[in-house]
Amino acid sequence: MSLDTFTQMTLTGVNLGLMYALIAIGLTLIFGIMRIIQYAHGELFMLGAYVLYYWFAVLKWPYWLGIIASAVIIFILGVGLQVLLFRPLHGKNILYSLAVSMGLIFIISSGGLIGFGTVVRGIPSIVTGGVFILGAFFTYERMVISLFSAVLIAALWFFLQRTTLGIAMRAVSEDPEVSSLQGVNTQRIHWIAFGLGSALAAVAGCLMGTLMSIVPTMGFMATMKAFMIVIMGGLGSVVGALIGGFIIGFIDSFLTTIISADVAYIMGFMAIFVILVFKPAGLFGQQWE
Amino acid sequence: MNEKTKLATISWSLVLILALLLPVFCNYDKYILHTGISIAFNIALATSMWLIWTLGFVSFAHAGFMGIGAYTSALLFTRLGWPLWVNMWLAAGMAAMIALIISVPLMRTRAVYFFMASWAIGEVIKRIFAYYREFFGGWDGIFDILPPKLSIFGLKIDFASRIAYYYLALVFCTLIVYAIYRINRSRTGMIYWSIHEGETLAQHVGINILKHKVIAFTVACFFAGLTGALYAHYHTYINPKTFDIWQSEFSLVHIIVGGLNTVAGPILGALILTIVDELLRPTGYYRVIFFGIIVILTVLFMPGGLETIPDKVRSLVNRFRNNRKEAPADAVTYHR
Repeated sequence: MSLDTFTQMTLTGVNLGLMYALIAIGLTLIFGIMRIIQYAHGELFMLGAYVLYYWFAVLKWPYWLGIIASAVIIFILGVGLQVLLFRPLHGKNILYSLAVSMGLIFIISSGGLIGFGTVVRGIPSIVTGGVFILGAFFTYERMVISLFSAVLIAALWFFLQRTTLGIAMRAVSEDPEVSSLQGVNTQRIHWIAFGLGSALAAVAGCLMGTLMSIVPTMGFMATMKAFMIVIMGGLGSVVGALIGGFIIGFIDSFLTTIISADVAYIMGFMAIFVILVFKPAGLFGQQWE
Repeated sequence: MNEKTKLATISWSLVLILALLLPVFCNYDKYILHTGISIAFNIALATSMWLIWTLGFVSFAHAGFMGIGAYTSALLFTRLGWPLWVNMWLAAGMAAMIALIISVPLMRTRAVYFFMASWAIGEVIKRIFAYYREFFGGWDGIFDILPPKLSIFGLKIDFASRIAYYYLALVFCTLIVYAIYRINRSRTGMIYWSIHEGETLAQHVGINILKHKVIAFTVACFFAGLTGALYAHYHTYINPKTFDIWQSEFSLVHIIVGGLNTVAGPILGALILTIVDELLRPTGYYRVIFFGIIVILTVLFMPGGLETIPDKVRSLVNRFRNNRKEAPADAVTYHR
């Protein structure tokens, strides 16, 4: 393996890892705080990408505003879903939230096939051109998108560590009862976390939609990646999601280039299985009862 | 309670008799018989998945183990020419053996982590079938898995006919359901439910939970493998996509809509939803949307599933009889 292939795979790995981490952090927020299975996370990712598609490619409105619009719309949708469907299930067996979100997958992905059509679409690039780094070609588009994801993750990290709302969210994820005794309105934290997680998925959908193509059925791939990463890193752990995102991103990038996509999948799932067997609560996770 | 059991026995016998007479009623219609066979497979899969649920788990690897059964039987038939009668036991045994090996590390994980780990197993099984092209046929799958022939007492039955295969599927579906019913009614079944209700408490009264989890998982996968073998020889063609997570998800939907507390749940769910599914087939994508709406409505408004309907009706009747003099005799219970 030559150096330029290696650099290329590393750069792609970092790029993929950051975007996977965005999806996964959204999911891990919902998981850790509400303690439900949100299996339809990838469907919100898909809807986010379509919002940007209609905003930017069809209506020709500005790109970056489109990402914000997508985040806001999916935030509202997420809050609506939380209030209508997931709030009554909080504290019940996770099977029920699994079933409801499975129903949502059926509805949203088939509704997407009807509403958006089965055609593969693409969001046009905003920046063109690229640069050679150590013999590997890296487009400016990927660079901008990686940078944007990294800044977003850093901002989220700051939000969770430094702001009152962020600290309240971490407190609810740590111990719901004690934090509500301290005067945290857990109901409010629940819908904010759900909306925020969904909005992160939507942003990731926009970025990934720009780099790749979009179809109404792409949501399940995102759900799968997000679950792999979140479980690997441990539920409710943002650091775990970031590290898990990089692990899966690198496995995907390297193994798909060297061997094949099927092997990348098999190894990804094997990695999760092995991690779960030796650390049954993920790398950094909380143990649920 | 005794009267209730008697009523249940009578109604299930009626269902079985109706199923036996179905070919006569539908005038040997091939499409209806095909639906009947699909229902039998779905019931067998959902019921065996429910057996794992009695310990408090949902295994998303279940369709994968059905796939192991199907591929074992298909390969034995296409490579060695062995008949289904031998293959299906080997297929079930293979699924059980792999389940036994995998379940020991798998059972270390709990709740959501178990869900993900079993999903990973199902996905790895599917991808392995897809990756090894020479041996498993890759994404194209395996063709020409012919249905068996049988000759007993000078009588020759060719199972390529829908009616014969319908009875074959019905017999095995009934056997699987009956076996699981007996397991659930036995002392072992009580132990399973005690693990479901409280693992720590079960451990404290001296139950070896790891042993029971492993055995239940293995038994359920044995039945899934058996179903898979029958499935392969009926459809004569299998590919990895048949056994992916969607198949497990549909079984889970059957269980949830049917009900989680008794063996009647998965049977009712698989029976009714397969029929509804077939009726809605002409509507295309709207069928899936409708499916999703059914699941969400069931969870939000009837968390006990279809199986609680008789109890609800009974309590309504009682209230009517007592003419509101006293509270309804038996309230609807969601927990066993």
